[in-house]
Amino acid sequence: MNLRRNLFWSLIALTLLALLLAACGGQTETVGEPEPAAEEEAAPAATEAPAAEESDDMDMEPIKIGALAPLSAPGAVVGGEAMRDAMLIAADVLNARGGIMGRPVEVIIVDTEGLPERGTAVVERLINQDGVVGIGGGYHSSVGVAAKEVARDNGVPIVFAETWNDTITSVQYDEIFRIAPLSSEVSAVDVNFIQWLRDENGMKLDKVVILTENTDYGIPAAENTTALLDGAGIASVTFSVDIGTQDFAGIIERVKAESPDMIVTLATGEASYNFTQQAADAGIGPQDVPFMCNQVSLVSDAFWTNVPDGNNCFVRRIGLPQKLYNDVAQELVAEYSARTGKDDIESYAMASYDSIMLIAQAIEDSGSTDPADIIDALENINHMGALGPITFPINRSNTPDQAGVDPKWWHQFPDPAITIVQYQEAGQDAVDTAVVYPNVYQTDPPVIVGQE
Amino acid sequence: MENAAIFGWALLWILFWGALGGVVTPRVYARKDLEISQASFGGAVIGAALGPFSLLPLWFATPKITSRLIGIAIAIVVGIFIAAFALADPDNLCVANGGFVISQLANGIVIGIIYGLMALGLTLIFSILGVVSFAHGEFYMIGGMVTYFMTAEWIPGVSPIIAILASCVVTFAIGYLFERIFLRPMGSGEIERPTEYAILVTFGLAFFLQYLTQALTSAVPVKAQRFFPFPRTEIPADSGALLKMTPGNVTVFDAISIPNPRFTAALLALMMLAALLWFLYRTWVGKALRAVSQDRQAAAVTGINPNSMNTLAFSMGAMLAGLSGASLVQVFSWLPQVGIPAAARSFVIIVLGGMGSLPGAFLGGLIVGLVEAAGTGCIPDATRAAAYIPAYGMVILTLVLLLKPTGLFGREL
Repeated sequence: MNLRRNLFWSLIALTLLALLLAACGGQTETVGEPEPAAEEEAAPAATEAPAAEESDDMDMEPIKIGALAPLSAPGAVVGGEAMRDAMLIAADVLNARGGIMGRPVEVIIVDTEGLPERGTAVVERLINQDGVVGIGGGYHSSVGVAAKEVARDNGVPIVFAETWNDTITSVQYDEIFRIAPLSSEVSAVDVNFIQWLRDENGMKLDKVVILTENTDYGIPAAENTTALLDGAGIASVTFSVDIGTQDFAGIIERVKAESPDMIVTLATGEASYNFTQQAADAGIGPQDVPFMCNQVSLVSDAFWTNVPDGNNCFVRRIGLPQKLYNDVAQELVAEYSARTGKDDIESYAMASYDSIMLIAQAIEDSGSTDPADIIDALENINHMGALGPITFPINRSNTPDQAGVDPKWWHQFPDPAITIVQYQEAGQDAVDTAVVYPNVYQTDPPVIVGQE
Repeated sequence: MENAAIFGWALLWILFWGALGGVVTPRVYARKDLEISQASFGGAVIGAALGPFSLLPLWFATPKITSRLIGIAIAIVVGIFIAAFALADPDNLCVANGGFVISQLANGIVIGIIYGLMALGLTLIFSILGVVSFAHGEFYMIGGMVTYFMTAEWIPGVSPIIAILASCVVTFAIGYLFERIFLRPMGSGEIERPTEYAILVTFGLAFFLQYLTQALTSAVPVKAQRFFPFPRTEIPADSGALLKMTPGNVTVFDAISIPNPRFTAALLALMMLAALLWFLYRTWVGKALRAVSQDRQAAAVTGINPNSMNTLAFSMGAMLAGLSGASLVQVFSWLPQVGIPAAARSFVIIVLGGMGSLPGAFLGGLIVGLVEAAGTGCIPDATRAAAYIPAYGMVILTLVLLLKPTGLFGREL
């Protein structure tokens, strides 16, 4: 009797669940979300006409490329989903071109959750279980710092797209390449911008508060920024939080008590949203004090949903302004916009796309799927990517010692452009933000708030 | 910290005499054949308060250790702690800035009330069913998600009150269905090992709800707009020195500030708490619930159906978690995983307050909220103060479990 009753209730529950799923399915389409990537592995796409001739080859065993992205909390999911969409486009583009060496390409995307231990586990799995010949993507530095050791142990190359920690390349592993900017270089741009606000815009800037996360990205970034600010004669106070922190009330009271002239956010993901909006609620948000938000703020839909009082935020943007995009970037943006409904592509999504395409070209150039040959090819590569022409000039044949540069430049793309943009209207799309720094790219002067 | 040694010595004093009092007092009372249930805890706090000056009279006179005596001792310990901290770090904001202290206290109380409401649900379930629901955080998450989608996506412009009520209905319904399908068999003896079964089945529900929500809504964070923005007001009109309101904040006396979303969330929590207390103490069903929590069999003899009370308690517990989430979705960015830390905090609170104790859960929530606020505000090292947030509650929990394993209001075994 009880069994029958339980079965009855189970059927009711399943019916309700089915109705709920059906209702929400329709809702997803209307909000312009990207096509749900039900499969994390991008199956080889149907090829276009030129590739059809190679259909026999395309039936061959696919070449597998791994891809890292934070797709669940505490990672920066907003960034991870953008990267995933771009890397799926890369897989489709490669397959539409006939694959690599006539073989189809399979991009296997794994969720790092923004956690180093999880990153280590998924890279291990990609290499030893899935048999990938190279890995792209990567968002959180702490994941990159941990994952590079697995790549090193297994001799498989990783091209990191968005991990900034200097030590990732300064350890000079043969297997590790990076097209993201160096954390220390980004800090230099931040501080140059802050100095520019003071020196050329007459802004009072005696003290800066830095809110950072306790990660391999946040801690060195805050240290670099503090040292550079100190050199510029600007005092600073750093507050650190865990990556998934939600409640900033206590810290915000302390930030207020410091009476900062500017606030810089080096925390990523939803923590940066929480901090910025809670600061705004407390009267020290972007509309009250000059405020540098984290770059995840450039996902404008998510930003305005989570930070409705985020107007006047300054945001560091990696990559050139849209008007300076090359053909590769424009094609990518067109496809990305069609799939996601966004007007522009995030810099880390663009870099993720390039990281997959770089590995693909290295395989083509070397004519081999042996990771050692791919590494050789990457060192000598000249790839026209969405970020521009990508090379790794500091390598085994031109070591940092020989070139007279810091080891951090090892296997490092030297030219990622960095600009500072500002939301100057509430609800503004990221693509319409004003480029305020540097002067060479400036579209509008900065709006400086809170100056008496 | 300018004079760290002062603080260090004070801590050492408290710990040494506290430990000595906690160990020796029960033995002294046992030797004299006296009641020892409060001896360990009482001896520890009385020793920590005044050291040998209180312990020696206690051991010789062996008075009855009452809650009043313990309360006075705790107040003295807290006073010594604060005085030592003030002497050690006179420039600390928590010492030198009264407005900052009151703001932090207000923040701690506000968030503590909401913690307490959430923990109330968990402890209500435990007190009636004897089950620790590991899906409590997911009910909290769903409460917030329903409120967000109601106000921002499905019916933009709908009153937040309606959205919150909808959250209550949804979480109550899920709790009801789950209890009927999965937990009811425990009561009818169909499950061989009910304790383990309850842990596993609620864990299963937690994962199911979390990943179902992620599949339906994606993992991109969302956030509801302020439910009830403050009107822009300044009293007096030219300076706002007494009261200044913006849509997102209220500042009193130019010093104490409380953000609007927290303020309204705490008000909602207080209203719900009052309603819950009225229900539990003034209605027949509420009294029946309390009766079942006290003695299941005796309650059944008087005509109360324990199975119905199980269903009601689980559904109400889920609803209280959902209500907490619904009130906080305007404060925090909301993700399918947002309930994990909240649930962990609730577990700390109900153990701290005493498993199954409703006043204990509420007081535990307040204590955790205040301790977190004090820790975040007063730890001198700015790079560490907020990073330790998850640890503050754990420290208090460890201390309470050491001194009073049943929690503050737990029933003696």
